[in-house]
Amino acid sequence: MAKVLVVVPFPMSEENRRAREAQLGAVQLGPGIEFHFRQVRAAPANYTSEHDSVLADVSILDACKGAQDEGYDAVCIDTMSDSGLAAARSLLDIPVIGPGRASMLAALMLGERFSILIMWDRWRHLYRKTIAELGLGARCASIRSIGIAPDNQALLAGKENEVFPLLLEAARACIEHDGAEVILLGSTTMHQAHGYLAARLPVPVINPGPLTYKLAEAALALGLKHSRKAFPKPLVARAGMIDAMFTNLGR
Amino acid sequence: MPKILVIVPFALDEEGVARRKNQLEAVCLDPQSEFHFRPVKAGPTSFMSPHDWTLMDLAIFEAGAEAQAEGYDAVCIDTMSDSGMAALRSVLDIPVVSPGRASMLFALTLGSKFSILAQWPPAIVRYKKAIAEYGLAQHCASVRSFDIPPDFDALLDGKQESAFPKMLEVCLRCVEQDGADVVCLGSTTMHQAAGWLAERLPVPLINPGPLTYKLVEALLALKLTHSRVCYPRPQVPKLSMLHAMLDAAAALSPAMRPSAVAVKSPPPEK
Repeated sequence: MAKVLVVVPFPMSEENRRAREAQLGAVQLGPGIEFHFRQVRAAPANYTSEHDSVLADVSILDACKGAQDEGYDAVCIDTMSDSGLAAARSLLDIPVIGPGRASMLAALMLGERFSILIMWDRWRHLYRKTIAELGLGARCASIRSIGIAPDNQALLAGKENEVFPLLLEAARACIEHDGAEVILLGSTTMHQAHGYLAARLPVPVINPGPLTYKLAEAALALGLKHSRKAFPKPLVARAGMIDAMFTNLGR
Repeated sequence: MPKILVIVPFALDEEGVARRKNQLEAVCLDPQSEFHFRPVKAGPTSFMSPHDWTLMDLAIFEAGAEAQAEGYDAVCIDTMSDSGMAALRSVLDIPVVSPGRASMLFALTLGSKFSILAQWPPAIVRYKKAIAEYGLAQHCASVRSFDIPPDFDALLDGKQESAFPKMLEVCLRCVEQDGADVVCLGSTTMHQAAGWLAERLPVPLINPGPLTYKLVEALLALKLTHSRVCYPRPQVPKLSMLHAMLDAAAALSPAMRPSAVAVKSPPPEK
């Protein structure tokens, strides 16, 4: 039985974590694979500033630094920012998948240009970073926001009637005005809108969380993981120091 | 009297900080400006892996996060990696200048293609990442290493005869073979070689630390600082959490001498 650790980037209640785990229901996963969701011990309030990005990187690294020793076979990171992805890859020899990079590259397997559909403009910096790192600027048709503050705890629950039509309208503008051939949901917290959008849009819509689960399965099945040349190990790993930072830390 | 905080990216003792501070001698500064050097509380022991970069971002962020409240007028970060720069800019209104981004852009004011002189091969991946992030790939002639392990504490002390000629040879290759018309020293830890190299090279050589001191003076004089649109403030600052994290880390590993571990070669790849 393969075990995959999914790192949830905010501390949250049992109920809210279940709303994250519901992403598993969106995709058929092979027998013989188990996904365990684990939330970080502390986090920034949201991902709207570089202040937040630094704290996110280290808190996600903290949550998965021991994954290999705990017997996990792969790690998925439940945020499109790919926070902590590079650092986790440098420490771990098991596959570590982040949805940001993965969904852009998967989109380019399905079309030539993608757009990213986001809740509000304060997320833009997250995608710009990955797009620049991958050199995919020319392949990104647009990033469109519906201008509604996200809720990283309750997600879209209770807001379906308000939010879903706005997302649909923005996605259509991506396709008709910007030339998008594939749409990416800009956050794993938008997963509840995926079915609604996919049923109404004429192009593929990528649901980033479930994509990472399938990519984890694929990496394990193919015996592939990240290149050690791209993600070198530290000379001295400071897992103990990272652990100390989060022990005794209030939220 | 402008006060400038220079953040030293390793938890060095006084002697180690003093070697960093010698960079001030390389450049004529306004007698009014005061530069205060402060080491981070804790951090990685080396600088060649995303694990190290994450910890370095956090450590430098923490060391400078209160600079404005402490009465500083600007912050310089003493590492070409630009670690912590973006996070500090998000919480500070005073200029935060870091030599990686600054050297590359400044090089392009002097020529059209720059090369970066890296210490050793494991360092190269970080420059490549920064060049891509800043969108400067078409202006970069090459990143070449002179292949001597770094010592973040002693720097190039005692290695003049072995290291300097090797550095020169690699710089000349950047110019002659790769077409560089400006060479950037890849680390503020190479500053002791800057004068010697500059005298012998046919193109400008950028000494990154002293460049940041002059840029800070320029920004202060011009009343310019980073764009808030590019570096938005956090909606919920968690600086006390940040300080608690680094205090806990420092309690675990006091008085680090990075030289003790930094000269080891990377472990063999599996």
